[in-house]
Amino acid sequence: MMRRLANILLLLVAVAFCYGLQLSKPHYGDLIGPIPARGKLGDTIVGRGFEARAEKVEFARNLRTDRFGETEILTTGGVWAVVTVKFAARAQSTVVSIASWRGPTGLTYDQTERLSFANDLLPVPIDPGLPRKARLVFELRPDQVSNATLLISEKLLAALDSQAEISLGPIAVGADGMPAGTVDTFDMTQPL
Amino acid sequence: MLESARSRVKAWAIAGIGTAAAIAVAGLLGAFEARHQALAALAPSSQVDTGEWLVRPLKAYVSAEKHVYGTLLKPGGKALVLELEMTNRTAKSTKDYFELLQAGPTPVDPATKPFIVLTRDSTMSPELHPGMPERMAYIWQLPDGAAPPANFGLTVIRKTYKLRDNLYGLPGWFNPAPIGTLTMPVGAGPDAPDLQP
Repeated sequence: MMRRLANILLLLVAVAFCYGLQLSKPHYGDLIGPIPARGKLGDTIVGRGFEARAEKVEFARNLRTDRFGETEILTTGGVWAVVTVKFAARAQSTVVSIASWRGPTGLTYDQTERLSFANDLLPVPIDPGLPRKARLVFELRPDQVSNATLLISEKLLAALDSQAEISLGPIAVGADGMPAGTVDTFDMTQPL
Repeated sequence: MLESARSRVKAWAIAGIGTAAAIAVAGLLGAFEARHQALAALAPSSQVDTGEWLVRPLKAYVSAEKHVYGTLLKPGGKALVLELEMTNRTAKSTKDYFELLQAGPTPVDPATKPFIVLTRDSTMSPELHPGMPERMAYIWQLPDGAAPPANFGLTVIRKTYKLRDNLYGLPGWFNPAPIGTLTMPVGAGPDAPDLQP
């Protein structure tokens, strides 16, 4: 009788153990995900193929660009965020093409696709010893601005490759709900 | 010999009864009703939740202009334009709206692919960002010589979220299925007022 009870108990323990193993097993998506290289605004973040340093973050209600010689004002339902980043290649030439903005609640905003004709946007080709700057432009909800993380990688599916994760820190919000220091119009034609 | 024939008959009978019982249970659970249900008719001024998107139709009209929101029409052609407000309900920027609306069967062939444009600055099919409503225009080229219709039908397509798909184990939106049909009144031109909820 005791022996049978002990067997049942052992079986239950084995079931619980196997269930725990199944729950805690990393999934395929986690295993082949990007490898984070973390840092703060102003740090130089070193990945496998590139280095990135976010220099400043600016906010604007509108963007001014040139399209075929005509000035164009781009409006938004939220707020524009323009991040100036300095990139450098490490051992060989590469192209950095993907950036997104992860807000405090995890909403992820890709770079805007409304500016494809402007200069100094991603994708930027970079070569060893020749650092260059680029602007990353995002269209955001104002409540996703503070304590956000900037994610930068070379390719869209950065499987098993470095992804720079730059925490941008808290940003004060003004009385109108917009981030402090939001300018009315940011001029994308000014040189970096 | 006789013994084995009898056991074979018994096996066939049991298998038949089992199959009949399985079909009966499936029928009781409603497996055969779903495909015969007619699609719900959605109110044109309502907001429709398609899983990934919140869609609110604003207006529909026929345009004979050369350019409609920056898209070039065929010479002499007319375009059926549907303007709507779309909000990305997901946590990521996406442009997964090409299968969202299916026009037709009249006056547009359901196989016709629309141009999808952000009306703010006529950007062709940009990614829309989480929680930011945007006004978009779906532009279908009407067949040559077609008269402007008084209203047109649309089927709204929903998708389902899967935390892990079967191929890559990554999250995504799959299995498009129709939610319902919409009948939009077609206005005279781009100046027609928006539908109010």
